[in-house]
Amino acid sequence: MFVSREPQGPEGPRACSGTRRDALRALCVSALALAVVPVVAAAWPRHERGGDEAPTFDETYQGRRLRGMKADAGGADHLDHMAQALRAPLQGQWHVTVDGRPLHLMRRADGTYLSMVDHYRSYPTALEAARAAVDELGPGRRLTVAGGEGGRGGVHA
Amino acid sequence: MVAYTRKDVSTLTRGERRRFVGALLEVKRRGEYDEFVRTHIEYYVSDGEKGLRTAHMAPSFLPWHRRFLLDLEEALQRVDPSVTLPYWDWTRDRTTAGAPWSEDLLGGTGRPFDQRVMTGPFAYDNGEWIIRESVTDGDFLTRDLGRRREPLSLPTRQDLDAALADPVYDVSPWNSTSAKGFRNKLEGWGSGRGPGSWRNHNRVHRWVGGHMVGGASVNDPVFWLHHAFVDLCWSRWQQRHGAGARYLPARPPRVGDAQRGQVVARHETLPPWDLTPDQLEDHSGVYRYA
Repeated sequence: MFVSREPQGPEGPRACSGTRRDALRALCVSALALAVVPVVAAAWPRHERGGDEAPTFDETYQGRRLRGMKADAGGADHLDHMAQALRAPLQGQWHVTVDGRPLHLMRRADGTYLSMVDHYRSYPTALEAARAAVDELGPGRRLTVAGGEGGRGGVHA
Repeated sequence: MVAYTRKDVSTLTRGERRRFVGALLEVKRRGEYDEFVRTHIEYYVSDGEKGLRTAHMAPSFLPWHRRFLLDLEEALQRVDPSVTLPYWDWTRDRTTAGAPWSEDLLGGTGRPFDQRVMTGPFAYDNGEWIIRESVTDGDFLTRDLGRRREPLSLPTRQDLDAALADPVYDVSPWNSTSAKGFRNKLEGWGSGRGPGSWRNHNRVHRWVGGHMVGGASVNDPVFWLHHAFVDLCWSRWQQRHGAGARYLPARPPRVGDAQRGQVVARHETLPPWDLTPDQLEDHSGVYRYA
């Protein structure tokens, strides 16, 4: 009983969810996309605070710039083009940044969201999850450049 | 092999505390610890996403973490065979001055500005606990015990009893929206807003704060003490409800069920191990709780 192989390191094969792997890879892609974001930023439709159902948001909360865009939101043409070029994420997935750094969100079965910063409860909207992540970070902590996946993306703390 | 004993952290002798901490620091120094952090991040698949869920929001939450704890415990025992994982009974040891947070064990809460842990063996300045796998860019361990800005209390005996009283292990849809069943009541996913919507296991992660509330929660060694108690609760639940208190689902969800292929049934393999939940239900031959 309880005899098993050890979990294997990154170099070994792993019987793991392909979806998760893909999500992690997708994060690296979004980090790349964000590197060129100044060109694109002006094209993001602006929405007022409280527009929680909106497919995008862009606000300052506790001194942090929060921006988000749902993958199936109809953005400007060149943005769609770029998203496709960088392998578009799944429909309905959010790309969220805090001060330009990616915040990975996950979806719960009830439609709520949790972030990599705040992983043990969920929030009704992506914007609320992003604000909660800022609350959790407090004044003295920032997200990693790579987003939520830790060392897999090659960017360490 | 004689089963070894996992003890309540508040009963450890000074020597036991020193050896436990020493083994953790050595596993970290060898580079093995960060692999545990990565594994936990990788297997945290949320139930609004497609794919097999094993570690969270799934029936196998309990056996997955049981085997995960055994892997760490074996790594510790390769350093020092006398070491076993202690558990933290958060229904009894409820304050920021409690046993886990003593200077010679895990150290205390983080400082207000950036939640950096400043005391104990895992404080950054000791140079032996550098965070390498994290969502945030500091390489120091963080905590915010009790959540200063928006305080909350640890789960109570009554909160835990509400989970233990449920005689059914888990129910369809076998995820974070399962309204009944011991597993989700212990894991602690509720519905709606407010403090009632995160319970027991989830609430403890939140009470500790800092790294423990994020995807890289394994960075805080209290993760193991917390999950050892969660593991103990599974045993307690089995004892309370008798031989019929088995892991569910016994068989995979039927064709057409949205959860088919997304959860592990009793006799299916539980990645990343070549083990089934059935093989992990009884730990009495390996360890026991004192």
